[in-house]
Amino acid sequence: MFRNYLITAWRNIIKNGIFSIINIFGLAIGLMSCILIMLFVQNETGFDTWLKDNDRIARMHTSYSIPGQEPFSTVRSAGSMMEAIRDYAKNEIDSGVRFIQWGTTVRQNGNAFSETISMVDGNFFDIFDLPFLHGSKESSFKKPMDLVITEDQAIKYFGKTDVVGETLTFCCFEGREIPLPITGVVKKLPDATHLGINMIVYLQPALFGENDGTLHTWTSLNVYTYFKMNPGISLEQLQERVTYWMDNESPLVDMLKDILGDTANDKSVSDLVQQRVMLVPDLHLHAKKHAGNMGDLTPMGDDNMINTFIVVAGLVLLIACINFMNLSTAKASKRAREVAMRKVLGASRTQVAIQFLGEAIALVMLSLLFALVAVEIALPFYNDVLGTNLKLNLFNDLNLLFSLVGIAVAVGIGAGLYPALYLSRFLPGHILKSSKGAESSSSTKLRTVLVVFQFSTSIVLVIATLVVYGQTVFSNSMDVGYQSDNKMVLNIDSAGDNLESLKLELLKLPEVNAVSFSSESPTQDWENNNNFKLLESIEEGVANQALLFNIHNMGYGFFEDYGVKPIAGRLFDEDYGSDKIVRIEEGNEDKVGRASAILNVTALKKFGFKNAEQAVGKTLETNTAGGIHHLTIVGVIPDIYFRSIKYGVRASVYTFSPGRFRVANISFSSNDIPSLITKVERVWKNSVPMQPINLQFLSEMMTAQYSDEMTMAQLFLVFSGLAIIIACLGLYGLSAFTVERRTKEIGIRKVMGADIIDIVRLLIWQFSKPVVIANLIAWPIAAYMMLTWLEAFPYRINAIWLIPICLGVGLLSLIIAWTTVGGNAARVARKNPINALKYE
Amino acid sequence: MLKLHNLTRVYQTDDVETLALNNVNIEIKKGEFVAIMGPSGCGKSTLLNTIGMLDSPTEGQYIFAGEHVEGYSEKQLSEIRKKNIGFIFQNFNLIDELTVHENIEMALIYHKIPAAERKARVEKVMDKVGIAHRAKHMPSQLSGGQQQRVAVARAVVGDQALILADEPTGNLDSAHGQEVMEMLQSLNDEGTTIIMVTHSPAHADYARRTINLFDGHVVTEDVRAA
Repeated sequence: MFRNYLITAWRNIIKNGIFSIINIFGLAIGLMSCILIMLFVQNETGFDTWLKDNDRIARMHTSYSIPGQEPFSTVRSAGSMMEAIRDYAKNEIDSGVRFIQWGTTVRQNGNAFSETISMVDGNFFDIFDLPFLHGSKESSFKKPMDLVITEDQAIKYFGKTDVVGETLTFCCFEGREIPLPITGVVKKLPDATHLGINMIVYLQPALFGENDGTLHTWTSLNVYTYFKMNPGISLEQLQERVTYWMDNESPLVDMLKDILGDTANDKSVSDLVQQRVMLVPDLHLHAKKHAGNMGDLTPMGDDNMINTFIVVAGLVLLIACINFMNLSTAKASKRAREVAMRKVLGASRTQVAIQFLGEAIALVMLSLLFALVAVEIALPFYNDVLGTNLKLNLFNDLNLLFSLVGIAVAVGIGAGLYPALYLSRFLPGHILKSSKGAESSSSTKLRTVLVVFQFSTSIVLVIATLVVYGQTVFSNSMDVGYQSDNKMVLNIDSAGDNLESLKLELLKLPEVNAVSFSSESPTQDWENNNNFKLLESIEEGVANQALLFNIHNMGYGFFEDYGVKPIAGRLFDEDYGSDKIVRIEEGNEDKVGRASAILNVTALKKFGFKNAEQAVGKTLETNTAGGIHHLTIVGVIPDIYFRSIKYGVRASVYTFSPGRFRVANISFSSNDIPSLITKVERVWKNSVPMQPINLQFLSEMMTAQYSDEMTMAQLFLVFSGLAIIIACLGLYGLSAFTVERRTKEIGIRKVMGADIIDIVRLLIWQFSKPVVIANLIAWPIAAYMMLTWLEAFPYRINAIWLIPICLGVGLLSLIIAWTTVGGNAARVARKNPINALKYE
Repeated sequence: MLKLHNLTRVYQTDDVETLALNNVNIEIKKGEFVAIMGPSGCGKSTLLNTIGMLDSPTEGQYIFAGEHVEGYSEKQLSEIRKKNIGFIFQNFNLIDELTVHENIEMALIYHKIPAAERKARVEKVMDKVGIAHRAKHMPSQLSGGQQQRVAVARAVVGDQALILADEPTGNLDSAHGQEVMEMLQSLNDEGTTIIMVTHSPAHADYARRTINLFDGHVVTEDVRAA
């Protein structure tokens, strides 16, 4: 019997030609989309699950929400917290470890490489049980300054993995080069980890002073803190214990009272400072919720993007399934006789239903094969767009294999169940007696509903895509408030005392017009914040109260180079000689330093100034560079967007503190970029010997800011395009079928005098109706969704744009439907009607 | 009204050539009632379709109302057909999804006649064939005889001067068959030219002239005195 089913199934696939191709092709595209998205989702959600005891390791994040100050969150925490909490919560915590990330330079055979080393407490390998290639966690991490590197680093520096006993020279600790002996090599970490570490050093606490702001602090957030919980302890229990300690036992109880005075009276510490814990496998996707936009050890994943993609994959597959359902029920009348005969010969309804369900599953399996081939072909491009390294290892990954087969069976059942029930319902007597088809009007209606659903879904997807794309383009092209053309950004972290000579040498290059220093270039933002107090009272302003502001440090010429003009007052100017913040030496803490500050418009408003002129000449008090400074506001500039405009602009104070400079902004005029780069590199090599150069183009940095959105927009474009293609395939199939079914009617109409054009119009209208309805359904849904999405952007495209987008997509969908149907309609309309009418 | 001169129609399939009509010469005058008879496959339907301009001759001439139409384009033929010729089929060929009224009206829609006039004419012709009480029914709710009356109504609603009927009684029992024949008879009495293919000698008797076809040839023509 099975053989008989198989033969019937196969012959039907062959006989139905175009319909089978549509079904298989549509399902294959649907499955391909699904598999591609699944691979990505599997990768993103599987971060750090390979770590031993990953369900017992948690990281502690910090959030400040102090009244009158901007809330602030980070994945880091204060250096003193780990030991205090570990010793307090002995019942919950087995052990704890801190990471300090340290940017440094490795010198090797006359070359210099930038590296970030992770200084960790000695029990690091007890918590993160990384597999050793050479050495072991007992032998390799015995004393401070022991160095364990990853396999890939070993190969990079020595060309082999067995490098225990070799030495790497780092620069610089307290101004000295330090050679560190390598004591162990661990395997290269998998891609799916938030641990972006490859050089691990046993932390030497002596390197850090008593008040260094790193290890011995309750408020400076510079270390990553991990706890390993005792077996059987839940994250909630740990969280409860940490919060209890913060509120009742921690030094912050008294400190906050001191800082805030009366405002802290009826508040517990955890209202102001939260220490939140999160399990390691959740960090990649969910740390964002705790830490906002601050970075992590590796780039964070995006939970929303994952969910959106899962929905999109589901929809594409659903659209393909609907094709299958529609075409199967539409073709049902063709098979009515077969069903009737099987029943006459003794088949039960269940047997017939199972036969059809089996056919559906077989067809999906066939599609799955094509889909897998398509995935293999698409993967390199897909990886390229996503910046991932996904692979399809079906036979190494049985889970994946089984879930794919599972999906195929589920899709087969999902798509095949209705047709199976529908077809198996036919009553043999009825079918065999009448020469009519078994087509009922309810199944025609259901098909129309499903087509409406397919098109609504596709239209929503396309509108969403266009809005995402539009917003991305808008963000990219928005006036950021500064001139971004022809700018290079040179990192000067490692330049030391060579800044002035570097600047002079760079200016000697004919292509270089100007060089200015700053703490960050546009697109960079290290989230430095400081409290500022306006000393003079102003009407309706906020005076004598510390407010938190974003702080940037700029040297002479910075604003001029970027074409930023003051709207009041002046910019930093060497001629005044009074702008620079001078560090207050130890022992002179009672002295008040004097310097200048520039505000942006948002800061102006935050202080409550009525206009820019009013602010000029006023004084801000702040604690920086070793003590209290009074800063005279010398100028106000328009808001400029240092970060992606999706974060909006923050109230910023610009000061001139040379100790904080980290980049040189180079303005150039040259079309020969490669030669310019070579020249700048030569200057760097001469001025700052033995340090790697870190040079970027501002235009590239600006594009990178929006790369996430761009990626999302591109992928959306592809998947919604696929959805439309599948829906159109379905429409094509249905119209071919309808034309077939209405051949007689069309023949009669032609005999009655209908022209080809009348017939084509008739059919096109029949298929336009569902598309028009689909548009009317899709528009409000898409508009609501996208307006909600856009709300996350402080600067967004005007909502009015949705109208032309919706209308445009509507028109496009109609045109696509018309071209899809038109061919079929014209073909049949041209036929000689007598052929249709002669035989019944 | 129309004249066929040395008309030949050859059907060409992959490797078989079928001669459906061979040198047919027929002239039919306005107001005639002609029956075409002959065994299955003798070319009756081909002849009727050719006269109805649904099929084109391979060779020979076809003069309709004084015009040589054998070289006309499909569009021109469609225009002539629409204005002059009504069709009645053995299997009625009503559109299942349309009501009786809509089925009849369809012929007028393609004549670009305004809605109000269409309604009046459809009602008039429904009265004439006696199915006005069934106007809102679907074809599937009617008996075969009623369906064929709808088809007749549809064929004449546009004031066509020529009715081509392809075995109009073939699917009907004798009582209903008689009914339809009487209706055709009365149409003919009012001046409509009728050409009918039939197998039934009794129904052929309604016609004034019977053309007998065999293997694509006109074998005999019997003319009865009025």
